[in-house]
Amino acid sequence: MSTENAFQISVPDDSLSLLRQKLALVSLPDELEDAGWEYGVPLADIRRLVDRWANGYDWRHHEALLNAELPQFTRDIPVDGHGTLNIHYIHKKSDTKTAIPLLFVHGWPGSFFEARKLVPLLTQNSEHHPSFHVVAISLPGYGFSKAPSKKRFDMDQYAEVCNKLMLALGYDEYVTQGGDWGFLITRKIAHLYGPRHSKAWHTNFPGGQPPSLFTQPLDFLSMLINGLTAKEKEGLQRVQHFIATGCGYSAEQGTKPQTLGYSLADSPVGLLAWIYEKLVAWTDQYPWKDDEVLTWVSIYWFSRAGPAAAGRIYFEVGEGEPAKQMARFSAHESTSIPLGISRFPGEIVCFPKSWSKNLGKIVFDREHDGGGHFAAYEKPEALSGDLRDMFGQGGPAFGVVKGRNGYD
Amino acid sequence: MSVESPFIISIPQESLSLLQQKLRLVTFPDELDDAGWEYGAPLTDIRRLVTRWSNGYDWRYHEAQLNMELPQFTRDIDVGGHGMLNVHYVHKKSDAEYAIPLLFVHGWPGSFFEARKLVPLLTRGSPDHPSFHVVAISLPGFGFSEAPRKKGFNLDQYAEVCNKLMLSLGYNEYVTQGGDWGFIITRRMAHLYGPKYVKAWHTNFPGGTPPSLLTQPLSFLTVLFHFLFPSLNPQMQAGFDKTQKFIQSGSGYNAIQGTKPQTLGYSMADSPVGLLAWIYEKLVGWTDGYAWDDDEVLTWISIYWFSRAGPTAAARIYYEVGGGNALNLGKLMGTPEYTASIPHGISRFPGEVAILPKSWAKSNRKIVFDREHERGGHFAAYERPVDVCGDLREMFGRGGPAFGVVKGRDGYNSE
Repeated sequence: MSTENAFQISVPDDSLSLLRQKLALVSLPDELEDAGWEYGVPLADIRRLVDRWANGYDWRHHEALLNAELPQFTRDIPVDGHGTLNIHYIHKKSDTKTAIPLLFVHGWPGSFFEARKLVPLLTQNSEHHPSFHVVAISLPGYGFSKAPSKKRFDMDQYAEVCNKLMLALGYDEYVTQGGDWGFLITRKIAHLYGPRHSKAWHTNFPGGQPPSLFTQPLDFLSMLINGLTAKEKEGLQRVQHFIATGCGYSAEQGTKPQTLGYSLADSPVGLLAWIYEKLVAWTDQYPWKDDEVLTWVSIYWFSRAGPAAAGRIYFEVGEGEPAKQMARFSAHESTSIPLGISRFPGEIVCFPKSWSKNLGKIVFDREHDGGGHFAAYEKPEALSGDLRDMFGQGGPAFGVVKGRNGYD
Repeated sequence: MSVESPFIISIPQESLSLLQQKLRLVTFPDELDDAGWEYGAPLTDIRRLVTRWSNGYDWRYHEAQLNMELPQFTRDIDVGGHGMLNVHYVHKKSDAEYAIPLLFVHGWPGSFFEARKLVPLLTRGSPDHPSFHVVAISLPGFGFSEAPRKKGFNLDQYAEVCNKLMLSLGYNEYVTQGGDWGFIITRRMAHLYGPKYVKAWHTNFPGGTPPSLLTQPLSFLTVLFHFLFPSLNPQMQAGFDKTQKFIQSGSGYNAIQGTKPQTLGYSMADSPVGLLAWIYEKLVGWTDGYAWDDDEVLTWISIYWFSRAGPTAAARIYYEVGGGNALNLGKLMGTPEYTASIPHGISRFPGEVAILPKSWAKSNRKIVFDREHERGGHFAAYERPVDVCGDLREMFGRGGPAFGVVKGRDGYNSE
């Protein structure tokens, strides 16, 4: 049985000093006139962020805040064929003893940090809405979890770690929330461990497939006859645009994560630009503060396994081929437990609603007017509102976890 | 009229010192057990190269060698819509009076350095084979050329710079040799400037367009037949498999450079080890068992590290030519641009990244020379200079299919 250790983020002084030394030697590239965001992150943004990182940004302050807000732990989790991995996670319990255990699973370039604003909302007590005990895992290779040391750490393994963590915490039954890789992982959890352990799953990054004559004949015919709505067309055009111009990171991480890793591990500004590009492009005009960005990126820079490890998930899931990666996202996986979907307009992949139908047993599906890919971080009230509605009294997934319906 | 200045590579001591400081602070990533080359450049290779780069590798020595071997120059070239660019190039003349002017155009991650071994071979005079005056340009953004400052520096602009350079050197008629981007650029040059200026073009990166039933019915049927019965032509199948593998698992660099070169560029400009790994992976992956010497690799990469525009500028060619769309770049290879007004020569090396059926190169080209080799890869001029040189000598020599294409310069001394 794995034992839990309390954990405080405490980056060694050496690491802070090395970061400072590297930033002091930073070499910035040239830039074309009027480049804007066309070629990637603008130089003015990076200059400003690097200056702040070197001068004024106070990691220790943010580290202390995180430790104060988010109770963290580590424990060893054995993974079949991969030995034991020491896993870092947030575990914040609600005062409501029978709160619903919820596992939050991040993606790339996310981390446990994405759950920061969601945690206080979900754990809040009230007679008007359910509350949750929240577990936000750092996936292996991310945050302060160890990385896998062997090849082929794939969806099954990520799901296994997540499930074992919840069981180790005494949550024999639980629900999940995830976006980005969190969608694929929680879907795998639903597939492998539902309904025995995973009782319901919620996502803000629904995959899906176009309806076919065989899977969804009515939707298929409707699509042929009525075409797509203007909004649906616009969503698909954005997907097209994303594939054509925004997937380079995924192509490289999905084929040569080690090669890329040398840059990300050695260059703070390189890592900053690599992640910041997505923080801006994938959010819906979220007003990033420089220190917020720097804390987000510092978690990658100071991560236990180093910044190169996180990208490997792309390689493993696609077996070294980006086309396979995309296929996994769209592929059908059978799940029998209730599914909730929250749709945010700034999401990078917005499929028509009818394409989600075969994802699972959809009991909740809500569209929002604002917000993007990092929904839990950008729109924590909206997301927690959706979870409360889905799992609350009168909601479609009320009482899915035996003896823990979220109320006193 | 632009004026030529002789050029000596002379990296400021500050730059060498900064490199050393950064190397001293190097932070390596982890690596999976038994990763080999599967996930990218292996950690042991990179560690070894970094150790050598910080201890023992002598840039000044290699700088001096290059300066001795390769006469270099710079001159301002005006590019329509882009102003003046100061362009760096190697220009080595042959002893042969009527040597053929030849422009060598590199690609990515190549540079003028790729022509290093070819230059002495091509410029050597002999009654038995033609010789060449060799110009090896550093494309804008590469080597010691300035980089474009404005957006939209596309194929026409690269071709324009190359053509103007040759004309400014007094070579009103010339031939070209190129692989990688050099293939695409010299193909554009053939299209735009042949036969008036460009009289013939040779490539080691043949590319090709799938034949259509209408334009090349026999080739089309051959390919169709092959897909129905792949086991009957294992060689063709092996070529397709290799090409497919390159596209599926070897073109990540292409996707990122073609869409977000600036984002990637922060790493390339700031991290010597990042740049080293990025390029070294291709130096090994794209060559055919070439026995790289560590110092050779480090010199190749140092040229990028110490380049005039910095290492970020070079990758922008992918963005500009692909229009910022990752899906366009593949199509570019196969564009059947009309070049059949001038003779074309092909040298095929088995280690090339994409191997297509020979007939696919026929579209819109006047192929007069097409030779397959047993060994060698993508950087043919560097890996197999004797083969490339031999092919050029044969193509352009007496009795060869492109003999005498350049008026008054057939590659030999007067009779």
